Amino acid sequence: MKYQLHPWLASNLWVLVALAIPAIFLIGALLYFTGWALAFSFTDLELVGRKAVNWSWVGFDNYARLFTRRGFLESLWTTTIFSFFSAIVGQSVLGFLLAATLRTQRSVLRGVIEATIMLGWLVPDIVAAFLWSATTAQTGLINNLIITPLGFEPVNFINEFALPVVIIANIWKGTAWSYLLFSAALDSVSREVVEAAKVDGATAFQRVWRVILPIIRPHIATNMLFITIWTFTYFPLIYALTGGGPGRQTEVLAIFLYKQSFMVGKLGYGSAISVAMLVIVGVLSLFYLRLLKEPK
Amino acid sequence: MLNKSLATAVAVFGVAGMAMPAHAEVSIMYADWLSSLVEPGIADFEAATGETVNAIKLPGEGYVERVALDLAAGTAADVIQLDSFVVSELASAGYLMPLGDMGSDWDQYQHYMPALLDVVSYDGEVYALPTDTDVRMLWYDKSVFEAAGIAMPWEPQSWDDVLETARTIKAETGIDNAFLLPAGTKQGEAATMQGFYMALLGADTPEDDRNRLRNWAEGKWIGDSPAIRRTLELYHDVYAEDELATASINYATDIGAAVREAMANDEIGILASGSWEFTCLWDCNGGPALPSADERNALIGWTPWPGSGLPDTKATTNISGGWAIGVNKNAQDPELAFQLLTTIFDAGNFGDWTVENRRMAVRTDIAASDAYASDAYLAEATALAADTTGRDTYPGYQVVSALVQQMTADILDGVSVEDAISEYHASLVDEFGEENVITYE
Repeated sequence: MKYQLHPWLASNLWVLVALAIPAIFLIGALLYFTGWALAFSFTDLELVGRKAVNWSWVGFDNYARLFTRRGFLESLWTTTIFSFFSAIVGQSVLGFLLAATLRTQRSVLRGVIEATIMLGWLVPDIVAAFLWSATTAQTGLINNLIITPLGFEPVNFINEFALPVVIIANIWKGTAWSYLLFSAALDSVSREVVEAAKVDGATAFQRVWRVILPIIRPHIATNMLFITIWTFTYFPLIYALTGGGPGRQTEVLAIFLYKQSFMVGKLGYGSAISVAMLVIVGVLSLFYLRLLKEPK
Repeated sequence: MLNKSLATAVAVFGVAGMAMPAHAEVSIMYADWLSSLVEPGIADFEAATGETVNAIKLPGEGYVERVALDLAAGTAADVIQLDSFVVSELASAGYLMPLGDMGSDWDQYQHYMPALLDVVSYDGEVYALPTDTDVRMLWYDKSVFEAAGIAMPWEPQSWDDVLETARTIKAETGIDNAFLLPAGTKQGEAATMQGFYMALLGADTPEDDRNRLRNWAEGKWIGDSPAIRRTLELYHDVYAEDELATASINYATDIGAAVREAMANDEIGILASGSWEFTCLWDCNGGPALPSADERNALIGWTPWPGSGLPDTKATTNISGGWAIGVNKNAQDPELAFQLLTTIFDAGNFGDWTVENRRMAVRTDIAASDAYASDAYLAEATALAADTTGRDTYPGYQVVSALVQQMTADILDGVSVEDAISEYHASLVDEFGEENVITYE
């Protein structure tokens, strides 16, 4: 069937054109910035000074330095650990478990837990950073309430366990999203199917593993896609909490990119880092999008 | 029909809104700790001209990067507070307005000390007016020293003396930061200057610039030298070997606040910092939180940074920086912007601020004033300034400084001195080319 325009629209085509303008601008801007980063990743452009004006083409130098200079590979590893434990293991699994256990509850408890995890999501990143900083400091809540009363020496968590602190803070911050998504997904699983499996003698584990999870598989993939992209490029909470330190302990790629671009001032090298991040996230996204497809 | 005319009206207003020039107001960017100088100046300017000033007050941490980024993006304010070391670099990129002609029309311009105007010049043109200069020293907490049984006044003669004192403090009091030597990348220039440079200058003989980051006679950056190695060894001793300071305080969510709090709670023994701390350890802008000078003297003391103690090195070291205020090359109304600048720097406002906050004067008229000349603290700090130097602010310095901070961060991370320095050397070569980097054996 041929698609037909509404008669009013057909006689007022300018409305369609006008509506398309923002989209064209948006797509244009996205392409422009991506193209900008790609082009300047082959230059020695800097933020200030002579090379801010008279930059030159340096070929693949910036890309070679990703592998020959300290920083990129270390940050890639830190980002992988951070993303795996905070997003995939933490937010996703915790979000699913909470959604699965709480959906049968109709009590005050559910309301309290929902409100609590939503709070983490709603608190601005910078505020969250100060909260976690105060909580984990040597004179902070954890030491005052738990460690010291038990007779142990107070622990400076950010100094000793910077990456775990940042991972836990991000789990706290982001679990609400996975919880909401999985709650909706589980609501879509029809009760009859689960009941039928039960009648057929499936154990609780089998019902989850062989019935429920396959049904909500697209939701899992969608969730993974979003939180992986978000976490892989996540910046504010970590930067405010630790600045990537101590040393480089929590220097994820986004912070490495920021430091190289704006503190050292090497915009060309920073562009190469951002292109590399784009490629990595792109590959991960393709992987998840394949998961989204129904099996034949 | 109605729809069409409505759409036309919206479009017309929309375009008109974009095209109509905004009211020519003056904007200014400054760090919160300078508000006691800037804000009275803004009030005076508004009263005198009837203009409204758009005041953009920013946090001190990350301020230098924010300003550079805004200037590069074309979104910076008309009048901008700047760290003096970035002025030549920003000027070389064409972001700042030379003040030459306007400056000579202003009768107070002549009072600025020429040496300090040099710091904020590029290619013979002045691009900003300095707010203050400074000296650097080792501050110490008197109650911590008393608890550790260390004699005061404390007068260390070498790095060994400082380390020995810090070890005693750690052993006697158990505090985590017996000797806080600024390190790492989060506090930016503060780590380079308050920490690394102060040690570097005393790590080797000044001959041939062996105790610097740049050899000026040859015009090359120093990629590896005994001085750099010894300085990194000192960092290694403080952070790894003897654990006299924690890495984490250099990466705190708010470093300034963390240091002030630790100092107030007697959790820092020795703090490598500068002359501004006589007020900034409480409140840079004065105010009710600031105890009297006598009370402060009872709580904290300072001593010049000793050299390493090796033969031919300096007995004490010092390096000076300072801040400045300049005008954006793209200021909407340059004359108005310059008028705001001179109102802030008017003798009354500027002189009061300098003395009340114990800043080191950059103008002869203020330095000669009774209030300034009769202050005991300023007199001692000024004496220290008799033997000082500046940073190696040749274009490219900002990158070098960031690489220096990275070296110290590597030491905090447990990287060996050898590996940290070879990474530094390689990065310098990346940036400036093999021909512009030298090595001292």
